[in-house]
Amino acid sequence: MSEPLLRLVGLSKRFGDVIALDGISLDIAAGEFLTVLGASGSGKTTTLRLIAGFEPPTAGQILMNGADIAPLPPYRRNVNTVFQQYALFPHLDVRENVGYGLRMRGVPVPDRENRVAEALAMVQLGDLGARKPRQLSGGQQQRVALARALVNRPQLLLLDEPLGALDLKLRRAMQLELKHLQTRLKITFVYVTHDQEEALTMSDRIALMRSGRIEQLGTPDEIYHQPGTRYVADFIGETNLLGGKVMALTDGEATLALGAAVVRAPRPPGAAIPLGSDAWLSVRPERVTVGVRGDARPERNTLDGVVADVVFVGAGSKVHVALANGTRVIADRSGDRAFAPGDPVTVGWPVEAGVLLRD
Amino acid sequence: MTSSSAATRRRLLRLGALLPLAWAVVLLFVPYAFLLVQSFWRVAGGVLTPGFTLDNYRRLIGTSLYPRTILYSAETALWVTGFALLLAYPLAYLLAFKARRHRDLLYFAVIIPLWVSYVVRAYAWKIILGQHGILNGLLLSLGLIHEPLSVLLYSRWAVVVALTHIYTPFALMPIFAVLEAIPPSLKEASQDLYAGRWRTFLHVTLPLSLPGVLAGATFAFVLSMGDFLAPQLLGGNDSALMVSNLVWSLFGVAYNWPLGAAVAVVMLGLTLGLLTLTGAAERRGQTR
Repeated sequence: MSEPLLRLVGLSKRFGDVIALDGISLDIAAGEFLTVLGASGSGKTTTLRLIAGFEPPTAGQILMNGADIAPLPPYRRNVNTVFQQYALFPHLDVRENVGYGLRMRGVPVPDRENRVAEALAMVQLGDLGARKPRQLSGGQQQRVALARALVNRPQLLLLDEPLGALDLKLRRAMQLELKHLQTRLKITFVYVTHDQEEALTMSDRIALMRSGRIEQLGTPDEIYHQPGTRYVADFIGETNLLGGKVMALTDGEATLALGAAVVRAPRPPGAAIPLGSDAWLSVRPERVTVGVRGDARPERNTLDGVVADVVFVGAGSKVHVALANGTRVIADRSGDRAFAPGDPVTVGWPVEAGVLLRD
Repeated sequence: MTSSSAATRRRLLRLGALLPLAWAVVLLFVPYAFLLVQSFWRVAGGVLTPGFTLDNYRRLIGTSLYPRTILYSAETALWVTGFALLLAYPLAYLLAFKARRHRDLLYFAVIIPLWVSYVVRAYAWKIILGQHGILNGLLLSLGLIHEPLSVLLYSRWAVVVALTHIYTPFALMPIFAVLEAIPPSLKEASQDLYAGRWRTFLHVTLPLSLPGVLAGATFAFVLSMGDFLAPQLLGGNDSALMVSNLVWSLFGVAYNWPLGAAVAVVMLGLTLGLLTLTGAAERRGQTR
């Protein structure tokens, strides 16, 4: 990787006694789409506000092209923000809103008008330039906010839950549109969201935050298939978490005791999970199959249980199976057989589908 | 709850809503209507005589004293409005954005003078501006003047100063309300788009606060234009009297109630006209 565009070094932020950000370090490459994902209060919005310059960091550096921009006020940073509630100026029309940044930088009128028209066309709002923000729908306001930031051709665009206020269908469409726009314009995006599906869909990399720290940093694929902690496995997508004790460790495999039952999982690379320690096994529902108890199973990991619920989810259904110890395992329905609550069944999954995690 | 007791409650509620209406009718509409009716009466041989004549209005327009006094009052009120806005805006800004910890205390400090009797506040200025007053004492002890100035009190400026003091809180409150309602993200967005603090104020905060400025200015203007106690106490000579003093003396000394009523009706009309205008301007500002 060449010199990163943005480099956060030991960045911390305290509000009184509350530590919002606890020394995070992160390199963001030019042209990258990085999503900062986390629950509310995890520090994701604080991270964005520090980069934008709305809050001064308590400690640490924000290096952009190698220079520390932390002491600079927001209006001297080559960074633009798309705000959560858009923050459009209500007294200005769409064109004036989009042209605000160019006007403040003293771009001459003819040039400004061209660029505003261009930006509005880019977000397909070419004919709404004379409207006031209040006369626009939520989706249109969102586009104006995007155009208002992009028209300045920033090196770095910060987006604070920009799709949070839109309904699901529009949000999905905008996710794709944003991603295409980002790829086409080659602008670096730092995108804050609490929506893990959004993060998986759009990002080159995801930084999953928890209590002011980065819990895991990786591509969507890594974060989804190789979660580093139980928190990550639980936060991203749907998963089954089975708690047990590590009974045996061989070259490639770990054996876990779940009460009376025994399951196997790939031994985590490098991570030291000592013999006899408590650990969690994460298995995604799409890897779990359900069969009538007693039938032969292709998988090595099997557990007996009773069907507790069958939930219709459109494309198929999810079978919730209660194990003997009360734990529930969710399996995406596979095969033709229909199950009903109360049926005695066996769930199974291949060894490589499991991820062993420390608590 | 039974349906009959619910019905009783509804009746009580309706009664509760009727009370303020009754209050307004008895104490406001009836006297105003009477004022209007009386402005068409006349005084014949020292006796108030009902009838219908436009003489009072003709005299009002024909005698230069009345239009002149109305204009003079409006001019005084404009000065008061200007000074009140100059004081109120920065203070409201400070309260809304800068005073974090002491905000409630400061707001309280602005509001508290409203609990003190108006007369006391006007009198306080008499003590400050008088010949043997605090201001003269201060100037004398500083050696800036050698004998007390008599021009401080009993002048138009004494009236303007006192009215500004009295009506600034009324200008401040609506300005504070609009400033406080501006989402902080708008100022952040402006700074994000390369505008520094001063340009952010000029292009975002100030335009968004104009409806409050308009409301505050209207309060200050209307209230000071109709004021008669401050001119009475601090204005001194006749030339500093305002239109309300005129009405007061027409009803009192001159015993010409119909003419007094006519002047009052004209003032009421002017005030309502102004309120309608500023109200319309504010509504247009909102739909813009």
